[in-house]
Amino acid sequence: MKKDDQSEKTLSRRNFLKTTGGVAATAAAMVGGLNLLPAKAEAAGYALPKKWDDTYDVVVIGSGFAGLAAAIEAKNAGASVLVIDKMVLHGGNSIINGGDFCAPGTKLQQENGVQDSAELMLKDMLRAGAYLNHPDLAKMVAYNAKGALEWTESYIGAKYAKLNFHGGHSVKRAHGTINSSGSELVNKELAKAKEIGVKIQLRTKLVKFLSNKDGRIVGIEVRKDYKFPDDNSGKPAFIKAKKAVVLSSGGFSRDIKLRQIHDPRLTDRFESTNQPGATGEALLAACIAGAMDVQMDWIQLGPWTSPDEKGFGYVPLFCERLVGYGPMINPKTGKRFFKETGNRKERADAIILIGDPVIIMGDSYAVNKQIFPMALQKGVEAGAIKKFDTLEAVAKEYNIPVDVFLKEIERWNSYVEKKKDDDFDCMIFKDAQPTVVGPFYAARLWPKVHHTMGGLNINTDAQVIGFDFKPVKGLYAAGEVTGGVHGAVRLGGVAMADCIVFGRVAGTNAAKEKPWG
Amino acid sequence: MKNKKIKKPLLTVLLAVLLFAVLSGGIYAAPKEKKASVTKAKTVDVKAWDCAGCHKDKKVLPDSHVPIKEMPYEACLVCHIPGEKNAGTLRTKIPGSHLHALKGVKCAQCHGKVKKPAPVEMSKCVACHGETAKLAEKTAKVKPQNPHESPHYGTSADCNLCHHQHAKSENLCAQCHKFDYIVP
Ligand SMILES: Cc1cc2nc3c(=O)[nH]c(=O)nc-3n(C[C@H](O)[C@H](O)[C@H](O)COP(=O)(O)OP(=O)(O)OC[C@H]3O[C@@H](n4cnc5c(N)ncnc54)[C@H](O)[C@@H]3O)c2cc1C
Repeated sequence: MKKDDQSEKTLSRRNFLKTTGGVAATAAAMVGGLNLLPAKAEAAGYALPKKWDDTYDVVVIGSGFAGLAAAIEAKNAGASVLVIDKMVLHGGNSIINGGDFCAPGTKLQQENGVQDSAELMLKDMLRAGAYLNHPDLAKMVAYNAKGALEWTESYIGAKYAKLNFHGGHSVKRAHGTINSSGSELVNKELAKAKEIGVKIQLRTKLVKFLSNKDGRIVGIEVRKDYKFPDDNSGKPAFIKAKKAVVLSSGGFSRDIKLRQIHDPRLTDRFESTNQPGATGEALLAACIAGAMDVQMDWIQLGPWTSPDEKGFGYVPLFCERLVGYGPMINPKTGKRFFKETGNRKERADAIILIGDPVIIMGDSYAVNKQIFPMALQKGVEAGAIKKFDTLEAVAKEYNIPVDVFLKEIERWNSYVEKKKDDDFDCMIFKDAQPTVVGPFYAARLWPKVHHTMGGLNINTDAQVIGFDFKPVKGLYAAGEVTGGVHGAVRLGGVAMADCIVFGRVAGTNAAKEKPWG
Repeated sequence: MKNKKIKKPLLTVLLAVLLFAVLSGGIYAAPKEKKASVTKAKTVDVKAWDCAGCHKDKKVLPDSHVPIKEMPYEACLVCHIPGEKNAGTLRTKIPGSHLHALKGVKCAQCHGKVKKPAPVEMSKCVACHGETAKLAEKTAKVKPQNPHESPHYGTSADCNLCHHQHAKSENLCAQCHKFDYIVP
């Protein structure tokens, strides 16, 4: 493609290269082939295309919860909107997600007699996040989650059937979609977006942000008809964003190269629960265009995944419904080893410390009450969840010293009776009962890479902040591609709240930008 | 026996019509190495049995294959049925477009009468093959999971995500799941 003016550079890019070190510089250097080594950057600069292939007011990158929420709000604010996604299917991680949406003080909570408040949710988020959360961002999510949930119900038409608990929360506040999948929400978002006239274009990969000489983002370079994961597939095209670009490209759990830069332990020995396209090139492209990244090394491992199935699988739906009803056991000792209702990081670290898979188990009372029948059936069929007539059979299967194990179950049962765990302070639910009724069910647990808490630095208006601490003009971001909301640990069910809250803010504000040309 | 004559494995009945295969960048663009050497021109008029009409001198059938000149699709099916000692079903052996051509479906029936054929909308598939919801009912018992209905996309996933016409079909579910389907 011919460029208009080879000498046109972005200020932010120059500033960026002069002022940054560490993480982002590494990121820039990693993007091979761009030839943007600091010494050469001045000469390379950014040039605008002579001809734009397409023009929209707002261009959204990523068709998950966050991107579609942004697209809908931008469209409803009067902007023309294009959503691109590099994959052959829409939905990203959102469409494989477990469908749990955390919000405080809702109708469903009231119906279930749960007392909750935004204040308490924020407290839980900050405690789990080791107080590394950017407080203003976390607060935005906690205080707007209820409104966001209601928007998905009343405007998008998503349905929630059940109130669930996730480790690290003080109360049950996860609103489970009727099909226990994020598809319930993201598919309805997509339908709404299409209905109101948002253009959706799949197989279109963001390659580069284009800025003018003031560092304002003015459009993007993409590869159209891209076939994941072939970087040479598709054809280059330039899309002009008259008002703004919203980046909602999700996390980078599947980006082994990038995640190892930030957490060298996370080699390819660790599987991921994410969709294959959960990689970081769009995030890095934003850094190259001047965006600042934050807390990139806080990468979450799910403590509830099984080594006996691929990807996310069925075991997390089994494990997370059972904590607070049944015990987690270290097969080597036959004993419990950690607070079952602890947060993800604590639990994953505890399992990794043991060094081998542990088990989660429940009796028929707990399992029939708590587990979505389809998940149980599929998990059993896949061989990842096993069924046993007796506790002795459980011990035999996992090579657990049987005497210690039986005593430990008795001990657990006594805690369940009095609703207080003297050993690990596990939260034991009111309706929990001792683990005595056969058949028993159990599954092995070994962590997988699940969520990247870090990402682009944004403010409460969802503007992306640059290395000069000022907003990168024309660039908004929302969802898992951003960092700061969750700090060290994202609690279960809070990603959906984060995506919808900030997706809407990003879309609304993007549509308000003054067109640059 | 008449049967004997064509009994030899018709194994890679690589039929003539790699229709529009070189639609570069198009939705059906075959991965580079998969593209048989086909010239764009005139593939439309080539008869389904005339391999050389598109593939030129490139050998696409095994040496032992019976001659297929003027052979109608029904005749292929004499040998190409599943089961041991048979040549195996043609589905999965040749691209869907070739099967379509063999069954007498003309390019224009899907792509329309256009100079530059474009990717075909799913509604075209459904027009002949029926609604996907119905299809999903038929495949409800397939293990480990109904390939035509998922918690993610319901029954709405585009046929062509797996059933490619101008490239080798793929099992998209296998990106994330341990589902070992054979995809025609
Ligand atoms: C298995 C699983 C279960 C989960 N369950 C829950 C749950 O129950 N509750 C909860 O709150 N959270 C859950 N999460 C987390 C949550 O689903 C994600 O954080 C959330 O979906 C992220 O949404 P998003 O819109 O930011 O990104 P995504 O939904 O991942 O969408 C991003 C999109 O951007 C596209 N993209 C990426 N790079 C490019 C590029 N260069 N060009 C073009 N497009 C690009 C991707 O292909 C993708 O489609 C779960 C996550 C997983 C993996």
